[in-house]
Formats: sequence, structure tokens, C-alpha cells
Amino acid sequence: MYHGKTRGFIVKLSFIAPRKKHLFSMFTKVWIFFIFFIFVFLNVFNLFIMYKNSDYKSNAKNLDTQRAVLEKNIDNIDDKISFVLRQKAVAEEIYANNTILKDSIKNLFDLVPDQITLSKVIMKKDTLVIYGITPTKDVYNFLLAAPLKSIFHTSNTMFYLSSDGWYHFVSTNRIIDPEEVK
Amino acid sequence: MDKSMEKINIVKLLIYLLVFIVVVFFMILFVIVPNVKDYRASKSVHKTAFVHKMRVENVLSERKKEFSNLNSENRRAITSFVHKFSEDNFISYAGKFFKKVSFIEIAKKAYKKEFVEYELKVSTSLKSPTNFYKFLDGLNRYENIIQADFPILMESNSSKITATFTIKVYDINSTK
Repeated sequence: MYHGKTRGFIVKLSFIAPRKKHLFSMFTKVWIFFIFFIFVFLNVFNLFIMYKNSDYKSNAKNLDTQRAVLEKNIDNIDDKISFVLRQKAVAEEIYANNTILKDSIKNLFDLVPDQITLSKVIMKKDTLVIYGITPTKDVYNFLLAAPLKSIFHTSNTMFYLSSDGWYHFVSTNRIIDPEEVK
Repeated sequence: MDKSMEKINIVKLLIYLLVFIVVVFFMILFVIVPNVKDYRASKSVHKTAFVHKMRVENVLSERKKEFSNLNSENRRAITSFVHKFSEDNFISYAGKFFKKVSFIEIAKKAYKKEFVEYELKVSTSLKSPTNFYKFLDGLNRYENIIQADFPILMESNSSKITATFTIKVYDINSTK
């Protein structure tokens, strides 16, 4: 740039207006901006991933606690189920025992022929004692003793002659429990 | 005018490019990659937890269904076990089959952990053994869980039969 003196005036001899000198050129600015932008962008992306990460982590933790609660519920319900099953088993066993008892009493009375009259029956778990009257020993032996012998392991009978010529009998029958033998 | 955009200085360009690459490289390698790894790991942990929870949830709903089915199937047994044994009700039930009913309690003991067994000796008189069968049949539909048991003693007198037998009443241990 040249400054000359003409008629006492300072004349600008430059053809162009003075321009501001920038610390960074446009090119540098663009690059710095671009690099900064990318840096910020990557950071935002990173923060997003970190957020998602912690979100997943806390969700997983939540799911785990929920699952633990559900597992506890399952345990509770399992207890209830097994209790119901135990009640069912006990009830069925009892009902079956009642039916068996009824059938065995019915069978016993069906077994007794018309000629024989029973006066007393004692039924225990494995023994049966029958008191009764029979017209003859043979009637008893053929009609009652034979089936009793086939049901029970031991069967003993004692006869007493009564005044009217009939026989009083006492029959003691026993089932031997196989576990007892051992 | 700034002519830096028109006359690009190759050296500067290369320096900036290098700076850019270094920044991006370091950001990716040391910040983003470890985080992404972590993210993937926690995503798979989350997925496993989710699947696990779903399975447990399914199991729970199955069990609930099973429980309610069992409950409705065995409603009678369950209510009978809860039902408190009433001597009066039993006498009125037995009175349908027998002429005279009286009983005494012999024993009370725990049965299979949750149940209590009351043992009662019942003395009755009846007309014919058929009534006894009917009584036993009806026992399985009674409001309590009752088992008729040995020893059974039946003795016939002139016109009637006296029968003595044991019944066991079961109910749920109320202390539990």
C-alpha cells in the first residue's frame, strides 16, 4: 500500500478497501468447525449409547426382581398344589377304605348260608371271629368253613352242642400279614 | 478477500485431515467401542432376563391354572377337610340308618403332618345289616371326611343288632 501527499491531503492510493485480518482463515475455520461438529456428534452418539446401556441394565435388574417375585409365587402355589394333592390322596384313600369295608361286610353276610344263624361277629384288621348256630357240623363245614378257609390263612372252629341238638360254633379266622412273617 | 477457500493449501489440508482422522479414531477406539461393547453385553443380559422372566411367568400361569383346576376338581374334599366335625350333625346323619347312636372320643392325634385324626367309638343298634352298608355308602358323601374302621363288633339279640365300630374323623390341623 502506498500513501502519497497531495495538496496536503492524505490520499488513499489503494484500490481496495482494507480488510480485516482474521486470526484463522476461512479454510481453517471450516475444518475446525467440521472437526468440532464430528467430535460433538460422536459424543452425543456415545451419550445415547451410555443412556441405552444404563436403561437396559436397570431394566434387566427390574426384570430380575420381578422374576424373583414370580418364582416366590410359584413356590407358594406349588405348596398349595401339593397340599391339595395330599388332601385329595387322603380323601380318596379314606373313601376307598370305606368302600372296601362295606364290601367286606357285605361279602361276609352273603357268605353265610340261610341254614346258619350268626349271633355275634367281631371284625378286626386281620381277624374275624364269628359266633353262630348251625344245624349240623357238615352244613357249617361245607357252606361256611370252605369259603372262610379260602379267604383267611388260618381258620379254627370250635363246636358246642346245644340242648336242641344244634351246634353253637366259634370260628376264629386270621389273615397273616406278610410283613409280620418277616 | 480470504482466498483460503479458493487456493487450498495442500499441506494444511493434509494436517487438518490428519487431525480429523486422529480425533475420530481416538473417539471411536477409546470411547465408543468400549461403550458399544458394554451396550451389547447389557442388551444380551437384558434379553436373557426378559426371556427368563417370560418363562417364569408362563410357568406361574400354568401353575395357577393347574391349581384352580385341582381346587375345583377337589372342592368337596377340601371343604370337607375344613368343615368342623359336629357331633349333632353326625348323630342326625347316623340316625337315618340306626336306631340309637352314641359315641365316645378315644383318641386325637396328628395324621400325615397337616391333618388331625379324631378316633370315636360309635355304638348303635340297627334293624338289618343293609342299613350298615347304606351308612357306609353315605359316609363317602358326608360333610366331613370320615373313615369307618375296625374293630367292628356286631351282635344280634332277639330283635335287633347292636353294632360297635370305630370312626376316624379327619380335618385340617387348625394350628397350621
